[in-house]
Order: sequence, then C-alpha cells, then structure tokens
Amino acid sequence: MANAYDVIVIGGGHNGLVNAAYLARAGKKVLVLERRHILGGAACTEEVFPGFKFSVCSYVVSLLRPEIIRDLDLPRHGLEILPLDGTFTPMPSGDYLWRVNDHGKTHREIARHSRVDAEAYDEFGKAMQAMCRFVKPILSMVPPDPNTLNPRELMKLLFIGRRFQGMSSNDKYNQVQLMTMSAIDFLDQWFETDVLKATMSASGIIGTFLGVRSPGTAYVLLHHYMGEIDGAFRAWGFARGGTGAISNAIADAAREAGVEIRTLAAIAKIIVKDGKAKGVVLTNGDEIYADTISSSVDPRLTFNKFIEAEHLPADFLEDINRFKYRGSSGKVNMALDALPNFKAIPGPGAHLRGAISISPSVEYMEKAYDDAKYGNFSRRPYIDMVIPSLTDPSVAPPGKHVLSCFVQYAPYKLRPGLNWDDQKEAFGDTVVNTIAEYAPNIKDIILHKQVITPLDLEREWGLSEGNIFQGELSLEQLFFLRPAPGYARFRTPIQNLYMCGSATHPGGGIMGAPGRLAALEMLKDSKGAV
Amino acid sequence: MPENRSGVRDLVIIGGGHNGLVTAFYLAKAGFKPLVLERRAQVGGAAITDEFHPGFHCSTLAHTAGPIRADIVRDMQLEKHGLRLITPETCVTALSPDGRALSLYQDENKSAQSIAAFSQKDAAKYPEFEKSLGKISKVIAEALATTPPDIDHPSGGDMWSMLKTGRALRNLGKRDMYRVLRWGPMAVADLVAEYFETELLRAVIAARGIFGTFLGPWSAGSSLQLLIRAAGDSHPAGSAFFAAGGMGALTQAMASAAKAAGVEIRTSAEVIEIRVKDSAATGVLLGTGEEISAKAVISNADPKRTLLKLTDPTHLSPDFVQKLQHFRGNGTVAKVNLALSGLPTFTALKNADTNALKGRVHIGPEIDYLERAFDESKYGNFSRQPYLEATIPSLTDPTLAPDGKHVMSIYMQYAPYKLKGDWEDQRKALGQTVVQTIAQYAPNLPEMILTHQIITPLDLEEVYGLTGGQIFHGDLALDQFFTMRPLLDWARYRTPIENLYLCGSGTHPGAGLSGGSGANAAREILKLLKK
Repeated sequence: MANAYDVIVIGGGHNGLVNAAYLARAGKKVLVLERRHILGGAACTEEVFPGFKFSVCSYVVSLLRPEIIRDLDLPRHGLEILPLDGTFTPMPSGDYLWRVNDHGKTHREIARHSRVDAEAYDEFGKAMQAMCRFVKPILSMVPPDPNTLNPRELMKLLFIGRRFQGMSSNDKYNQVQLMTMSAIDFLDQWFETDVLKATMSASGIIGTFLGVRSPGTAYVLLHHYMGEIDGAFRAWGFARGGTGAISNAIADAAREAGVEIRTLAAIAKIIVKDGKAKGVVLTNGDEIYADTISSSVDPRLTFNKFIEAEHLPADFLEDINRFKYRGSSGKVNMALDALPNFKAIPGPGAHLRGAISISPSVEYMEKAYDDAKYGNFSRRPYIDMVIPSLTDPSVAPPGKHVLSCFVQYAPYKLRPGLNWDDQKEAFGDTVVNTIAEYAPNIKDIILHKQVITPLDLEREWGLSEGNIFQGELSLEQLFFLRPAPGYARFRTPIQNLYMCGSATHPGGGIMGAPGRLAALEMLKDSKGAV
Repeated sequence: MPENRSGVRDLVIIGGGHNGLVTAFYLAKAGFKPLVLERRAQVGGAAITDEFHPGFHCSTLAHTAGPIRADIVRDMQLEKHGLRLITPETCVTALSPDGRALSLYQDENKSAQSIAAFSQKDAAKYPEFEKSLGKISKVIAEALATTPPDIDHPSGGDMWSMLKTGRALRNLGKRDMYRVLRWGPMAVADLVAEYFETELLRAVIAARGIFGTFLGPWSAGSSLQLLIRAAGDSHPAGSAFFAAGGMGALTQAMASAAKAAGVEIRTSAEVIEIRVKDSAATGVLLGTGEEISAKAVISNADPKRTLLKLTDPTHLSPDFVQKLQHFRGNGTVAKVNLALSGLPTFTALKNADTNALKGRVHIGPEIDYLERAFDESKYGNFSRQPYLEATIPSLTDPTLAPDGKHVMSIYMQYAPYKLKGDWEDQRKALGQTVVQTIAQYAPNLPEMILTHQIITPLDLEEVYGLTGGQIFHGDLALDQFFTMRPLLDWARYRTPIENLYLCGSGTHPGAGLSGGSGANAAREILKLLKK
C-alpha cells in the first residue's frame, strides 16, 4: 500500500524545516512533526513576558548558508537580517575594547591598546579569510568515509588534499595550527593585548566544554570570519522579529513547496520492521507511515529514545552512547525598564547596539572554565549580551528593552549534591551580579528575568544535556566522525532512516547546512531506489 | 685516526645526548667520521648518572628509558658495550590516599587480578584496552619511524611511506582505525573513562598522556601523548625500563658503541656559534675560540637553541625566525633526587612488599587531582598537590647506594618554567612540597633523607641546555607533531641553512628516550650527504 507521505521529518527546528523544504521542492510529500507549540527548535522567538519578545535560545545569526537563503528565497518569506555592529568588551579597570565593522575605527581603537596589535589585527583578518576559503567548501561537503575504497569518496579526500596543497605555505601553517591549537596559543602568536585575546578567544569556546587554552578551540575562531549575510563577509546580525523569524521564513518556504507541518505532535517511537524505518508513533498513539524518516533531533533521542536497541548494531550503539553532549552554557533573558549604563562608556550609544562581551582577560576566561571542570557554574562567567530592541523596536514596548545573555560555563552535570532546579536562581543572580560590576544600574532596571539552565534546554528544547549544538564540536566529533564513525553521511544503520540535525556534519549554529546536505543525500538514494 | 683538528672534518655533531650519539653511530657506520662535541664534562645530555651524595648514584634527570628502540639497541650492540636493562615485573604502582595501592605488571593477567580488587568490570576491560592499544601502537610506531612527508612536493618515497601507513591503518580493521582517528585529538581523561570506572586506574593510565607536557588530562590531544608513548611500549600504563648503573650507563654504552664505530667524542667542548657562509654551515666555533670547520653540522640541541642562539638569525628569513620563536616549549617538569638512609615504609603496602616499589611509583590518585595540579601551573604557580612519578632504582640495582641505603628519583609535575616569581626563591619550597606529598603515603620518608637534589625547570635550561626547561625540546602537542615538528615544512631534519641538520628531540618523533629522532635523522642526512 502507498503511504500518505514520502518523508516524515522529526523536529521542526531550522534544520528539520530546511530538510523538509528541499525535499518538497524535489517533489516529495513531506510531513514535519514538532513537539512544541511553536516551530524553530532553539531558533525561536517567544513573548515570554507581555510585550517582550525574546530570541529565547539562539540569538544571533551569521552562518546561515547563503545557498539556502537563495534556494528557499527566504527574504521573500519575510527574512530580514539587521546588522549587529561590533563587539564591546568592558574591563574592570573602567577601560574597554570596542571593535566595530568600520575598519578605521577598529584600527584606531586597538592601537589605543597596542599599535603592534592594530597592525597584526588586519593581517590576522586576511589570514583568517584565506582559511575560510579553504574550510567553506568542506562545510557544504558530505564527509567522505576514510574506511571506504569507493573512488568517489577517495576523490573527496584527494580534493581536500589538493586544496591544502594549493595553499601558500603560510596558509598551510596557519591551517594546521587552527585545526590543532588552543585559541589562546594561536592568538598569542598574533597579539599582545590581553583583553583582545580574551574577547576573541571567546568565540572559540561557545557551546563547548573546553577552555580558551584547550587545544582544538582555535578552529572556531574561523566561524567569526565565515559569517556571511547577503554575501556581506563576516557580518553578524539579528533577524527582525527575533531568530524565530528565521525559522518562520523557512517554514513558510517549506509550506509553499507543499510541506505539511504539525506542532504539538511529539514522537513516542520510530516504527522499525526488519531493519527498515516504516513510520512513527506519536505520544497520543497516532501512527503515521512514510517511505522515509528524517530525524533532526539529536542521536540520543533518535536512537536511545525512539528506537529499541535490538534494531541497532552493537558497535553503532556503543558509538552513539559515547557521543559527547556536555552542555556548558545557559541563557538569561531580561525585560528591562531602561538601558544598562556601563562604567566604561556611560549613557546610551552605539556600543550597546552590538554584542557586549564580558570577557575582560584570558585568566578570567580560563578560571570560568576551571569552575566548570569540577561541576560548578562559573562564579564569574563569560557573558555575551545583545540588546535586540535597540535595532528592532518591535520586540519590546516603547522605551523598554530586551537583554539577551548567553552565559558560559554552566555545566549540565553539576558536582554531586547540586542540581539545577535548586541552582537556577543562584545562577541567574550570578549573571546579574557579574553584569552589575560593569553596569551597576542593571539591578534597578530589571522588570522580568527568564533563566534557562542546561537542564531546561534538555527538558524544553530536547537538547540532550543542554548542548546547543546537539553534541560537542570537539575535534573527535567533527567531519567524518560526526556523530559516529562510519555514519557521518546522514544515513543510519536503519534503512530509510536519516539524520539531518546539528549532530551531523558540519554541526551547530543557525547554519542549515546539515538539513540541506541530508536532503540532497536522501534524494540521491531515492533516485537510486527507483 | 681523527683528522687534524685544523683540517676540515666531514661531520660535526653538536651535543652528545642520546640522539646525538645515535646519529653519530649510524653515520660512522656509513663510513663518515663524525666528531661529537659535548658542552658538559660527560656525554649523555638528559640521560646521565651522577654521584650526588657520597656513595649515592642517581639518574639525574631521565630515570627510565623511553624505552630505547629495540633496533637501535641491536644495531649499536649496546649490551656488548655494557648496557644491562633492568625491567622489573612490576611496571607501576599507583597509591591512593585511602591507603590502597594498585600495581600493574608486565603480565596482563596479573594486572587484571590486582585491578579486580578495585573493580571486576575494569579487570575485564583491561585486556581489551591493552589489546587495542597494542594493535594501534604498532601502526603509530611505524609512523614514528618514518620521516614526515614533504608537504609541498611529496617524493615517491613519501607517497610510498604514506601509503604504507595508510594501509597499516586500514589493516587495523574498521573499529581500531576509527579509534586512532578518534583518540588522537581526544582528552585522555575521556579515553580512560571510556574503558574504566576506577579513578586510580584512570589516573595512572592518563598520566602517560600528560607527562612532560603543558597539558592536563582534560586537555584535548593528551591522548596523542599516550599513543606516542604506547608506540614504544604498548603497556597501558607504561613499563619500567632501568639501566644498571642508571641512565648514564645507557648513554655510556652508546658512546662506547659510537667510538667503536669510528666516532670521535670531545667533552667539555662547548659550541658557541655555528659558522655560516652564503647561507651554508661551514663549521663551529668553540668557547675556547677554537674553530672547527666541517662539511656538515648536525645539532642535537633543541631547535630554538640551534637556530636562534647558536646561529646568527640574520641567516634566516624573518618569517622562519618568527615561526620558530612560536615553537612552544615551556617546561612543566622538575626533578627531585633523594639520598635515603633506608627504605621508606609506604602505608599502602602491607608487609613491606618491596616488589611493588621496584617499578615506577605513581602519585596522582584521581583525574581531577591531576587536572587541579595542572590548573595551578596555568597561572604560574607550581602544583601544591603535584603529580609525582617516583622510582627507587637502588631496589633493583644495589650498586647505586651503600648497603641498606637507597636513592629515590622523583619527577614532579607541574612546575611551570614561567613562574610567578623566581625559581631560586622557590627551589626549597618545591622540594618540601614533593617530600610532604610523598610523606602522605610514606610518613617516615622525611627522617630518612640524607640529601636533596632539586632541579627546577630553570636548571634544566641553564645547566642542561634544554630551552625553556622543556624535557622534550619543545611541547609535544597536536600542532607540533609529525610534519609540524619543529615546523611545518621543516620536519625532515633539514634547516633553511645548507649543511645544517637537526637530530634532537625537537624533531619527529621526539618523545622520550627512544633514540627515534637520532635514527630518523641519520637516515635522512645520509641520503642528502650521499647526493
């Protein structure tokens, strides 16, 4: 008998929706099932307090693949990215470092701290862009399997090798360093200003359980230079209406292509018969059948929760159980009566329109990590703040503001005796107290506060152990090892079951690449099947 | 008969450390007449034995062999030249504060038995881990014995050896091949946790991943260290390889083998400059003012000392100089040697079981303990609760100390070269910390101490010529390994200066007392000299 649907996509996060849209555009009949009442997964906007709309989890966009914006014609579906200009890093001394997109300004500002660094900063930018040119094609490539002898796969390895060969010996040198060094060891070679290194290194640890001195963190520095919006290099921005607007635009494009989307439709299990995925059972008991199942949720949910172990090879299960999540970050969203007033630059101003980074020194960053290693949230955490309401008034009542704080480290596994439900409030207070050291008026202007712990991320958003990337982005979990060696190509040991979430290559961030790449692979297979 | 000193030598080798001697030997075997110039009064570099207290002899720095590569022992006939390796059945004994001890032995089953006292599960897992590590380490060993490929223009030979390594990888089978790829960049704390639940066992194995490095067990890439060490010695926690007479006996045997092969060795001959003309090395200048010209100069000293101190950097491109300055090598290890009036009693060892003490003694009972020790060094302090590796070689080699007396040789980590404050002021404190730490496990140690010898990272640099006090001539890390050791494009024992070569631990593979760097270098240099 013919199924009602060709494909069921589990999870209406941005990757699930991208996956669905590409499949539908290729003529597949697709159903998306989302557990929550709204779409977007971690890329959602919610009116948490009346009149205040928050990008509850993910809060800035940069890596959204341009080909996806083009293919799905997202601007027509309401996507509008507003620029996020610069990073403002206040220091305890009352001094600050304020980098903006304006090259001249940034050069003068860095020179204020160190002339040498100001020069080096330009060189650094150039070097990073050369690196990006090498890495980008890999982001839109299906990882080859080093274990195969399939010539097409080997060609891919060769292709990477050739591109590497093609680089100047300096670029090669930088590339291998980026892939292997710690952010600080790498930056130490370029810069002398501590606060500059500290605030730059921060991008290397976001979402990982690593410190700025941990090898492997240098690579993520690239992402800051890879950001691309409407072709504008390394621009970061907000979506008008919050990150949820991105998901909604993708959902819109998907619906237009014929995708059916159901919210409040939670999966209980994936139906597997003799090694083939046949459909899903919802928590309400409904059974829905399809030729193909595509899961955008993380491997733990897909393989440990929705599928009985007996359907999976022991080796694969062992690898999936070993896949590391280890959420290390939380989120604190605040509704503000007025703007925070920073000691470093008093009053309102452009410095509040960009990212505000609490990363005053390398030692500060590393100590924040030390706390987490032993199961405590950082006494003085790294905080990345944005005030979208300054750029997009639609998200707060007139004169009022929303403040979004990404906070690290908040380890999912607290030390024995502590649990997040008890620590939640203390965690929120720590964040406020930390900010207060730089903007003393913060305590007086908070109308409402929403604290999201790693445990909340797991419970509410289905991110195992609260990892915002559906699995740590550490070297041994990247490329052909993501999420499991031999299964990095969106396929699974179960026929007709695919993965399309951030737990697959190239990983997390509002990139959409996994969803798209998975769709292309699925279409390849379905052609083969005919 | 050596040529007239004023005449042109064919080869001069700077430094008579173990790698320098190995290189000299192989080149002499090939018909060259190398002259080894050693700054100190004795050869051996970091593998030496000193009488540090009347009647008490101790391996001053390195206290166990890497182990030395078997083919090198064979080629140099080191036994014939007086080397006697002592490999006690007990490899390592890890002590825990709760008064328990975990001994691991050469014999897998015996190890499993003593693990069983802590965890049946771990005892069952242990052979599985040893098996995987054994298979994998064979492949790594192959890679360590090859010359890193030329990145820009891989030669046919490079392609071949890459192919061979690739094949060896595939032959591991899918599971183990993926393990290599996965393990390399991993934190060793994660690796051991994948197999074992007992903290003491986790810690003693993880220690191999951090020894001598500026990494903690939670640092990504620390597993690579474990794999590199396993290449020479696939015992999960590492065996114990002593030389009768201390590590100095090993390098003495090497020196004697080298001489027999036709190498000339001069001690107390400090090279203060490498002479360069038209970007080619022409010889060396000694502290005495003596000039020795040579067709080629080979340096056993670390890359920074060789190219930034002994060579006038104006002969190098600014770009190269800058990159070499960034070659990380800040030591984390200090050494404390004790002369003891007797054998201390370790509370964990019932009925004074000396067998447990014949291998290495590991202090660092938990992963977190090791990581906390590392934390302090990140901020420029030496660990107040340090990770220690102690040996009591006099138990297996009575010649080292007078009757009934003993020597204890202790590696202390972490002792950061870049210290807040001054090493001279903190030398005593360091010694006390080490003694007090051991006293927690052997309370009667302090009253048995006849003398301390305390060697700080600064001493390692100033006395033994290890830049930054880095015992491996430069951090062993993912970004300073294989084709990147010491620098990408310069991992083939050559330097930008014609006729100037490197053969020390700052080159691939570079880990410990294996002689690998020296042997690889000799092979490459021969190829080039024969051209």
